[in-house]
Amino acid sequence: MDNMFPQIWPLHPDQTMHVAVALVLAGMAGEGLARFARLPRVTGYSLTGLLLGPSMFGWFGAHDVAAFRIVIELALALLLFELGIRVDLRWLRANPWIVAASLAEASLTFIATFTVLRLMDATTGFSLVVAAIAIGTSPAVVMRVAAELRAEGQVTQRLFVFTALNVLYSVVLSKMLVGGMHGSFRNDWIAAIVHPAYLLLGSLLMGLAIAMAFRLLRRGFDLSDEHGVVVLFGLLLLALSLLHAFALPTMLAPLLAGVLVKSLDRRPHLWPRHFGTAGGVLVIFLFVLTGVTLTAGDIVAGGVAALVLIAVRLASKGAGVAMFGPIGGLSRRQTLALAVALQPMSGVAFLLTEDIRSFYPEFAAQVGAVVFCMVAVLELAGPLGVQWALRFSNESTGRGR
Amino acid sequence: MAIGTLGKFADSRPLTLGIELELQLVNLHSYDLVGAAPDLIRDVERRKLEMDIKPEMTLSMIEMATGICGDYNDALRQLTDIRDALLTSADRLNIGICGGGTHGFQLWGDRKISDSPRFNYLSDLYGYLAKQFTIFGQHVHIGCPGPDVGLYVMHGLSRYIPHFIALSASSPFVQENDTGFQSARLNSVFAFPLSGRSPFVETWADFNVFFEKMTATGVVKSMKDFYWDIRPKPEYGTVEVRVMDTPLTVLRAAQIAAYIQSLARYLIVERPFRPVEDDYLVYTFNRFQACRFGYSGTYVDPRTHEQKTIAEDILQTFARVEQHAIELGADEALRALQTDVAAGRNDTAILRADFLATESLPEVVHRQCERWRT
Repeated sequence: MDNMFPQIWPLHPDQTMHVAVALVLAGMAGEGLARFARLPRVTGYSLTGLLLGPSMFGWFGAHDVAAFRIVIELALALLLFELGIRVDLRWLRANPWIVAASLAEASLTFIATFTVLRLMDATTGFSLVVAAIAIGTSPAVVMRVAAELRAEGQVTQRLFVFTALNVLYSVVLSKMLVGGMHGSFRNDWIAAIVHPAYLLLGSLLMGLAIAMAFRLLRRGFDLSDEHGVVVLFGLLLLALSLLHAFALPTMLAPLLAGVLVKSLDRRPHLWPRHFGTAGGVLVIFLFVLTGVTLTAGDIVAGGVAALVLIAVRLASKGAGVAMFGPIGGLSRRQTLALAVALQPMSGVAFLLTEDIRSFYPEFAAQVGAVVFCMVAVLELAGPLGVQWALRFSNESTGRGR
Repeated sequence: MAIGTLGKFADSRPLTLGIELELQLVNLHSYDLVGAAPDLIRDVERRKLEMDIKPEMTLSMIEMATGICGDYNDALRQLTDIRDALLTSADRLNIGICGGGTHGFQLWGDRKISDSPRFNYLSDLYGYLAKQFTIFGQHVHIGCPGPDVGLYVMHGLSRYIPHFIALSASSPFVQENDTGFQSARLNSVFAFPLSGRSPFVETWADFNVFFEKMTATGVVKSMKDFYWDIRPKPEYGTVEVRVMDTPLTVLRAAQIAAYIQSLARYLIVERPFRPVEDDYLVYTFNRFQACRFGYSGTYVDPRTHEQKTIAEDILQTFARVEQHAIELGADEALRALQTDVAAGRNDTAILRADFLATESLPEVVHRQCERWRT
C-alpha cells in the first residue's frame, strides 16, 4: 500500500504546476489589461513574470530559465521568421533612406550608450557589450502589439524593418565583442576572428537552407490554415536543433530565412499569426520567462544606470529616425510615432546576455544587472509606447481601435 | 458660382478625352487594402510632379487623372506616365497599387474615411454606405461642343452602357466571395439615393430648371451629389461616363476610353437617332444583365426590342463606328477590344482564372499588382 500511495500531503508541486499557474495568471493579467484598461496584453504577461520572479515572489528563478531556454528560443525563432517575411530587400533598394535611418538610429544608440557608460566609469568591454545589446528592439513586443491592433501602414512596416535590422546589428555586434573578449581574455586572436565569422556565415547558410525548405513546403502545403502550419512549426524546431548542433546562434538564421523568402518571392506568405494557438502560448511564455530573470540584486546594482540608459536610448533612437524620416517619406507625426515604437526591449536582449554567460559568467552577471533592469522597464512601458504610436499614426484597425 | 446654379457649360475642344482612374492601395504583405493615400500623395508632392492625384472616400483609394487628351495615343501615353510616376512613389513606400473594381477580400468595416470636410460630411450622411463605397471606377470625359450636344451625347450613350460595363468588368469578388457578377461594384453604387440614370431632359435650359428644382428641395448642392452613370460636367464642358470598373491595366482603360470617344463622334456626326424617354424602359434591365453576365448577358434593343447577347451588340456597334474610330486614331484600340470580345476575354475572366490557379484571394491581388505594372 505504501508503494501505491506515497505520502501525498504536504503536496510537492512540480515544475509543471508552477508553469501552469504562471500561464493562467499571465493570461488573466493580459485579458484584464486589454479589457478594462485597453492596454496591450503583453504588458500583463511581462508583469506576471516580474511578480513571480526572484525580485518579488520568487516562484521562478534563473534555473527555470535555463530549463526553459528552448521555449524562449523557439518562440523567438517563430517570431523572427515571421518578422523576416516583412522585410523585402527590394523595398530597401527602392528607398535607401530607410537603411540610412536605421543605421543612424542604431549607431547613435550604440555610441551614446557607450559614451554615457564610460562617463559613469564603466569598463570599455562592459560599455561596448551593453551598448550593443541596447541597439535591439524587441521583435516579440512589436509584433504582438501590432497584431493585437491589426496595424498596417508606413509606421508599422518600418517598425518591422527597423526591428529586424536592430536584431541583426545587436546580435552581430555582440558576437564580435565576445570574439574580441576571446582575444583579450584568453589571448586567442584566431578564435576572436574565426569564431564570429563562423557564426555569421553559418547563420546565413542555415537561413538559406530554411528558406529553401520553406519554398518546397509552400508548394505542397496550404500553410494558411491551422493544420498546414504544423509543418512550418516543425521545420523551425528542426532548424533550431540543427543550429544547436552546429553551435550557431539561434536568432539570426530564422530572421535571415524570412528575409530571403520574401525577397525571392513577393507573393503573400500567410499563415495564422504567431503560428496559431501553440505558437501563441509559446510567445506568452517568452514574456513571462524574460520577466522572471530580474533579481533584487540586479535592481540595486544596475537600476540607476538602466534608467539613465533608457533616456539616452530614447533620445538617440529618436534623433536617428528624425534625421532621415521625412526624406524617406514619413510625415513628422509618423517619425515621432516610429521613434517611440522602437523602444521596447525584451527576449533578444535577454538571450544575448545569457549567451555571454556561457563563456564569461561573472561578466555576464554585471551586464545582466543593467540589461535586465532595462528589459523590465521597457517590456512593461514599451508595449504601451508601441500601442500609442500605432494609434497615433492611425494605423490600427477595427475593434482594437 | 452661387449654390443652386449650374453656371455656364464651359468651352471644350470637341471629342477630346479625359480619364480618371480610382486605384486600390494595398500592403505588400497580406495584400489587404491599406490606408496609404495620404502617404502616397505626400510623396508625389515632395517630388514636385505636376500630377493630378486626389484622395477618395476612404484612405485606401486614390484617384489619378489625365489632363485633356487629344486622342487615344495621347491618353495612353498620359496614363502610362502617371502610372509610372505613382509606382515610383509607391515603391519607395512599399505600397502596392492595382486596378480592379473591387478588392476581393477587404472587409468594409476596416476602412477609414479620408479626413476632409466633404468626406466627413458624406460619411455622416450615408453612414456605412460611405465605407462600402470603397470601390474603384473609371470615369471618361468627352469634350462636347455646347451643352445641348452634351445632353444629346449623354442620352445617346445610355444605350451603350452595357457595353462599357462588360468591357471593363473587373469586380467579381466582394468581401471574400465570388459574387457571380462580372461587375459587382455597381451594386454598391446603386445603394445611393441619387444614383442611376439622369432625367430625360434634352436642353441645357431644361436641365437648369431641373437642377434648380432639385437644389430648392435641399437634397443636392452641386452636380457632384448626383451619382449618375453618365452626367454632364459643365465646369469642363464634358459628358462623363462613370459606369466602368477600373481595368487591370492602363492599356485597357485607354482602349475603353477610345471606344467611348468613337461612339461620341458617331453620335455627334451622324445623329443616328433621336433619344426618347422610352429608350430608358430597358435601361436597368440591360445594365443588370451586363453586370451579372458580362458579354453573354441579354441586350434588349430599346427601339426594335430585339434580343441578342451583349457581345453581339458590341461587335455590331464596332462595325458601325469603325470609320469614326479611324478618323480619331482609335481604330487600333477598337481592334484589340474586338478580339477580346470575340474570345470572351475581360478582366473579370482574368481574375477568376487567377483565383482558380492560386485558390487564394491575396494571391489574386498580388497578381493584380503585377498586372498594373504592365
